[in-house]
Amino acid sequence: MAAKGDKKSVDFHQVLLSAAQSMVRLKHPERLLKMITRFIDAKVKLSHTSFLILDEKKNHFLFIDSKGSRRFPVSLLKVDMDYPLVEWFQVLKRKMRIKEDYLYLPQLEKWSHNGRYRYTSQTNPETFEKIKKAMSDFKAELVVPGYYKKSLIGLLLLGKKTNDCRFTPSEISFFQILTQDCSMAVKNAQYYQDLISQNQELETRLHEIEKLRQKEQETYYQIMRSLAQQVHAKDPYTFGHINQVERLGMMVAKEMKLDLSGRQKDILSAGLILHDVGKIGIPDSVLKKPDRLTPDEWEIMKTHVEKGVKILEPLTDFKEVAEIVRSHHERYDGTGYPRGLKGDQIPIEARIVSVVDAFHAIVSTRCYDAGRPIEDAFQELERCAGSQFDPKVVEAFVTAMKRDMKKRGVGVWIEEDQGHS
Amino acid sequence: MKTLLVVDDEPEICDFLKLFFEERKYQVRTATSGQEALDMIPKVKPQVVLLDVHMPGMDGLTALKRIKETYSDIKVIMVTALETREKIEEAIRYGADNYITKPLSLEYLEKDVREKVAHLAGEKISQRE
Repeated sequence: MAAKGDKKSVDFHQVLLSAAQSMVRLKHPERLLKMITRFIDAKVKLSHTSFLILDEKKNHFLFIDSKGSRRFPVSLLKVDMDYPLVEWFQVLKRKMRIKEDYLYLPQLEKWSHNGRYRYTSQTNPETFEKIKKAMSDFKAELVVPGYYKKSLIGLLLLGKKTNDCRFTPSEISFFQILTQDCSMAVKNAQYYQDLISQNQELETRLHEIEKLRQKEQETYYQIMRSLAQQVHAKDPYTFGHINQVERLGMMVAKEMKLDLSGRQKDILSAGLILHDVGKIGIPDSVLKKPDRLTPDEWEIMKTHVEKGVKILEPLTDFKEVAEIVRSHHERYDGTGYPRGLKGDQIPIEARIVSVVDAFHAIVSTRCYDAGRPIEDAFQELERCAGSQFDPKVVEAFVTAMKRDMKKRGVGVWIEEDQGHS
Repeated sequence: MKTLLVVDDEPEICDFLKLFFEERKYQVRTATSGQEALDMIPKVKPQVVLLDVHMPGMDGLTALKRIKETYSDIKVIMVTALETREKIEEAIRYGADNYITKPLSLEYLEKDVREKVAHLAGEKISQRE
């Protein structure tokens, strides 16, 4: 594409290709724009080569770089949006129906003497004079625009050639493509940066939301834990119950070699602690009744299961825990409540809660039944294995308990950690 | 003769503004520090001083104060990259005639300098009358 005369000085075609290629997906195109400015300055020999880029936030153009004997101090100057050179490429050029997408001083002279251009309220013969003055202010012989979606974002200002020759059409079209490529590269990089910072902002927000959510859930869990403690405080016969139940339950789970990694341990622990939290909604007249409950009272008592589930509902992290609470009065043979689940349909954690809770009830001094020796409790559990309880859980429980008792001294059941966790 | 004194610690900016205003028929002298500017004023007798705020040694605000104390008729335009409200208020208190922030528009700078010179000429005429 380069004219014969150009080839001696600069192989524009090659420069253009390599520049365009290296600009694709460039994160920091400023450095390359500086290099291109320097390259033009070194090869084309102009009084100056200056590259202006739109600063969208500030809404003016700034120098990326300026080279040559008549260069501009880049930090000193800006070009406003209503500056004639900017207006020309944004609006006026189209209004005046001028096809050439560059400003070249010799051509401008021709235009202004020709006088056949369309003038409107915004354009008149003086428009050319304003443009000429602006080009003279910036010592520009040739001004080449770069666009992104029809809006001007780059301006290449080129001073006079030092040998006083004119720019050839092929040089002008080379600078046009180059400026266009550079502008696109800048815009792409800006979008890329915007995208990154938007992403970071989004991630920070999500992180904050997640932290808040966790905090909220922790707070809620603490409230529930104290609720659960209150339930048992209301019921003086099972004081210390939940801490014991938790300890024994974890012991069984370990004996059964259940997977307690990650959240599993917390789920089981919360299930053990919170299984009776719904009792907070049971009237004291029923909960604290020293006599055996009437069938109606039993129905009321049974609602503590659903009430517990309701209490846990707001906690999105506690779905599995709610499931344990819902299932801790199910029986292995399917005759339990509220859903009549059977065998493996009942979550293993609920099957553990059921055994441990029953054991604790048996050995604790209850209002309706004096506390019985531990051996009795084991017998009772074993008797109900397969009907009320999962036999595997009972077996693991008894094994683990016996080993634990042996360690502490035969036949001694110590209620540890009473009243505190 | 319209005489302008450009004070900036960056020689490149001094040179550029000197050339720019010389082409617009000003006599232009440059200084790269506040002290140098103060030393030059009695000889150069500028009508307008373009004064950078941030310079090593004597800064622009101190220079402004000194200039205005001695030569109240010299118009001083502050030029700076920084624009804190305190600095601007301080400059106005010392008698700055304008405060232009970098990056600046050449068009605006030229217009402002032209107006300051014209204003001075007007004052002189009214004094004579």
